[in-house]
Amino acid sequence: MKDIDKLQKRNRKLRDLTERAGSTGLAITGLIGLLFLGVLVWQIAEPTFIKGEQGEITPASESIPESDYRFKWDFPTVDENGEPFTDPVVLRFGWDDENGSHSHDVEINVIETRQVKTDIYIDSTGVDQTEIDVGRKTNFNAYSSLTVPVSVEQISGPVPNADETGYPAVNTFVITGDVHVLWDDENKQVFQPMELLGWITLLILVVVLTWPNVAVLNIIQKLKGRRTLIKLASYVLAGTTFAISDGMFVAAALGSICWLVSGVILYKIAEGIERLESLGRELSETSRLKHSISARDGVLMWSRMLLFTSTLFIPLLIDIPFLTERYQDIFIPYASGIRAAFYGTIWVMLIAMLVSIPVSVGAAIYLEEYAKPNRTTKLIQALVTNLAGVPSIVFGMFGLAIFVKQDGFGWGLGPSVLAAGLTMGVMAMPIIVLAGQEALRSVPRTLRESAYGIGCTRWQVTKDHVLPSAMPGIMTGTILAMSRIMGEAAPLVVVGATAMILFDPEPLAALNGGNVNFTVIPIQIYFWTAEPDHAWHSMAAAASIALICLLVAMNSIAIVLRQHFRKRLKS
Amino acid sequence: MSFLNRISKDKAGTILFLTSLSVILITLGIIQTLLFETITFFSDIAEHRGWFSLEWDFGGIFSASGFACLLLVVALILDYESKKEKNRLSIIPQEVWNPHHGIVKAVFILVVLQLLFNDSFLLGLSILFLTMIWRATGKLQMKRIFGGNIEISNTWRNVLFLFIFITLFDAITMNYSGAFGEFFLQNQWTPTGACEDRRSLCDTMSFGVNSLLLTTLQVAFGALIIAVPLGVGCAIYLSEYAHPRLVAIVKPTLEILAGIPSVVYGFFAFIYIGPLVVQFGEYAFANGWIDESPNVLNPINGAIVVGVMILPLIASMSEDALRAVPNELREGSLALGATKIETTMKVMIQASLSGIVASIILALSRAVGETMAVTLAVGTVAVYTSNMFLPAQTMTAYIAQRVGGDLPFGEIGYLTIFAVGLYLFVITLCLNLLGNKVLSTYREAY
Repeated sequence: MKDIDKLQKRNRKLRDLTERAGSTGLAITGLIGLLFLGVLVWQIAEPTFIKGEQGEITPASESIPESDYRFKWDFPTVDENGEPFTDPVVLRFGWDDENGSHSHDVEINVIETRQVKTDIYIDSTGVDQTEIDVGRKTNFNAYSSLTVPVSVEQISGPVPNADETGYPAVNTFVITGDVHVLWDDENKQVFQPMELLGWITLLILVVVLTWPNVAVLNIIQKLKGRRTLIKLASYVLAGTTFAISDGMFVAAALGSICWLVSGVILYKIAEGIERLESLGRELSETSRLKHSISARDGVLMWSRMLLFTSTLFIPLLIDIPFLTERYQDIFIPYASGIRAAFYGTIWVMLIAMLVSIPVSVGAAIYLEEYAKPNRTTKLIQALVTNLAGVPSIVFGMFGLAIFVKQDGFGWGLGPSVLAAGLTMGVMAMPIIVLAGQEALRSVPRTLRESAYGIGCTRWQVTKDHVLPSAMPGIMTGTILAMSRIMGEAAPLVVVGATAMILFDPEPLAALNGGNVNFTVIPIQIYFWTAEPDHAWHSMAAAASIALICLLVAMNSIAIVLRQHFRKRLKS
Repeated sequence: MSFLNRISKDKAGTILFLTSLSVILITLGIIQTLLFETITFFSDIAEHRGWFSLEWDFGGIFSASGFACLLLVVALILDYESKKEKNRLSIIPQEVWNPHHGIVKAVFILVVLQLLFNDSFLLGLSILFLTMIWRATGKLQMKRIFGGNIEISNTWRNVLFLFIFITLFDAITMNYSGAFGEFFLQNQWTPTGACEDRRSLCDTMSFGVNSLLLTTLQVAFGALIIAVPLGVGCAIYLSEYAHPRLVAIVKPTLEILAGIPSVVYGFFAFIYIGPLVVQFGEYAFANGWIDESPNVLNPINGAIVVGVMILPLIASMSEDALRAVPNELREGSLALGATKIETTMKVMIQASLSGIVASIILALSRAVGETMAVTLAVGTVAVYTSNMFLPAQTMTAYIAQRVGGDLPFGEIGYLTIFAVGLYLFVITLCLNLLGNKVLSTYREAY
């Protein structure tokens, strides 16, 4: 009897042990995914922002008032014949500004002592020294107070050794100048005061309405009966902002839209107060404020989204070369940027949306609401399900044969934005159809039946009852599909996107005979990664971060939309 | 007339029907494009080398494939005999049918050793088949002796017949030529050659797609080896064990992982995983495990990164399958005194197996069709080798690399990408059909 007890106890111990080991193992496997993500982000961020290897990537230099350059001095001591190097190293600094192009040589004597170094300062008059001493294996800095990129080229001296990653150290560099912030004394202001004021007003309004308190309610009460004034004031402010702007269209448009939206919010509040009054109530509770601006119109949500988009535009207005420059030259990686790729991505996405959304939402409605369960419907359903799983490169080949090439069945659009957009639209179609069907299926049966019960036709039921309730799902699915095709490079490689684009892409070039070349951000990453020069890899890392930021932005828009519509359905 | 009547009666419905027809149009367009160019490709080669011909060599029966064929025939006989009511297997002693665990483990070690030293994929597969049939037959025999429900299924027989055909074909044929023989059965892929005319073919060109297919399968299955344990483990943990707060963190993380573009993963593989794999490969090279020194671009690198890419897919789909299992099963098992890990392993996984299998099949299809990450990680040299530390090329990577240059319409290089694309399309289509079918079975079950 005792033996059995002992045995059972041991068994129980064993079982407990297995239990604990098993659950720990599962926990570890679950967390390894997180670890992978962490390593991924670190690996992308580290060479770009932290190590900053040969020269600063421009977004990182945003916080540095004067961009500086750190030279690594790890040159070989002997040449291939075994004799020590005695030649001095000559670096040539060159830049172009309004006074023409400058070029200055600096002679560097590499001396045996390790820690000796002299820094170089560059300003508009030139380089302050012509000859410096630097110790072996010592880093020295070059500081530039210019606003234009400075290129550094090695004229003579030994070739640098490979660095620790196995790539040869780069001997052609670029120093970027100051990053223009909001108020720059030398250059003109990026934002006019009126534009900035409009933006700040909207920001304050949104913050106040999101977290209202009793103190602001008293102020808001004063809006009662001043609807015309608010309307007029917002028109006047928006008009003035646009009129006195100094030609920077995006900034002026953003500023005036901010004024207009602020006006709309205030107008709605005034309207809401009057409505409350007609019901015999007063705006005395904070919870009523949001109802008074009528949640159905979604004014608050749209203004939040406007704020969000304008923050996306600000880096483009502020001069961060990585975002505002196009491809420059194969030898100066750090002066290149993703401007052409950004515009290419926007155009491709817009064309893809225009093509795919109407057709695929229509198909989803047909399959869920109209189709009889016959053979055709089954076929279409099966095709949609399987098209969603077809590799993206096959869609690219479809685009190549149909849209790009002229022979056979081709439309002959060439490797243009239009062909790429159409290909991407075709690719997004099955994904949107599936998401839309899922959304339509989740609409309760009773809603349809009650609508039929009061005598609606099928189209009326779909348009007025089913579609509005299914809209959040459809919109979320659409945005997620768009964010998926935004990151796809494979179909566009096949369609014929190229990396070295010196101009912004033109969307309709294929039709009016312009320059058809285009690029998108993933393509840019692909070609930059494939470059042998290690400096381009840092650019690829920076572009990856920009792409991931864009994707996260799109996904958060999807989440905001979903939450907004869900709340609205509940109320 | 009735069609016109219908249009006038229900305009919206007709328009919506036309939009859904676009799906059929797209599918037809894809298939038409691929088929049209592929047929041109094959007829171009066939003009030079004929459609199909092969040389027999019966000496090949004594090769590894011949031995594999023999093993499979033994397995087929075992299977056939065991299904009979009164079979001749009863003369074999019981100990054979109920072997010690060590013997089964030894068989698996044998497979691995065979793959390492003899390098015959078919032989390893046939040893595995024989072991499985042996176990199944053993189970059946034990049931016959001790009683129990005997269910007989003949699914394996067809698979065995198929593999016997493949191994026999592999053993007794020597040289394949002609368009089809070269494309599907040869191992050398050199689609560029110095010919006088760009349009024409010459003898230096060779179109054996197996070279690309092997690398594709290496990458895809390597990815599964990494992603299946992690993904299914993650799914089980999330659905059975994790605190809701942790689920709220891990699920969005998985969504972010799934949302990162493949080209970014490719960059990650190129910069980070490749050098790590090279370090390991150099260790292996120093110890003489592999013949040539490793390269930064290699299939292992690709397998790791594709594994990370398909991990979220497997995790989220398996978690859905696990959550779809009714709670009664879980509670019933716990009430019977099973611990949580027993409930998970023996009840929940069994109950949601078809969902998990479907997720694995769909992930395999994704891994086969993955392009940019693989192009950046695996390399652009089409070689047929089992050394996974050397640069190679997958089917998708071939398409992406070849099309990068400006290809003139109708040139042989332009046609090859469509032939490879059609092959890829068929493979992924079969996998998707299978996966969706398995998925629908589990949806029906609960």
